[in-house]
Amino acid sequence: MIKIKQKKKALGKEQKRIVLAAIAGLIIIFTGILFFLWASAGGDIYENISIVAIALVIIALYLFVFHRARKDIREGYPHHDERSRRVMEKATSKAFFISLYMFLIMGFFSDDIIHFRDVSQATGVGVGIMGLLFVILWFYYNLREI
Amino acid sequence: MKTRIKELRARYNLTQEDLARKVGVRRETIVFLEQGKYNPSLLLAHNVAKVLKTPIDELFIFS
Repeated sequence: MIKIKQKKKALGKEQKRIVLAAIAGLIIIFTGILFFLWASAGGDIYENISIVAIALVIIALYLFVFHRARKDIREGYPHHDERSRRVMEKATSKAFFISLYMFLIMGFFSDDIIHFRDVSQATGVGVGIMGLLFVILWFYYNLREI
Repeated sequence: MKTRIKELRARYNLTQEDLARKVGVRRETIVFLEQGKYNPSLLLAHNVAKVLKTPIDELFIFS
């Protein structure tokens, strides 16, 4: 059994992680505000709406994860344990390898079939697909036997 | 892999939440352990066995 002292130390570490996550969250929210200001400056309205929507989704997701982490700490659970770390490792490594092939395909077809407006759009799409891949794979590994 | 965690948990009147807190993991981990859908580390297996006062090889059954 984990001794009470070791448990308190583990919870103290978790609380430090929460504080660091809160700081990261402030940076994300600040970035979201910058996105919003940039979008409202002018340009294509549909692109601006999608930029604001993406920023809002990221902020909402972050707030949800932060709230859940604080709730876990209050109830005496760790935010991450060995199983959740293993799920995260599997999802991130698989998403990375699949993304490598995806970028190769994007580069191969970028001249003939897929037409990107500029490099920033191409990287934005690539990163967005990477993020989506990670989320799908996280749910997949979280529900299956590992 | 099969486990006797649920049976022994009931014997000691522990909920999944109680067991999760005692061994320092999330409740979902205990759920997956009971269903045999997660292969725990040696440390986690040892901690669960210690809480449930049962040897590891009687708690986890590999077929």
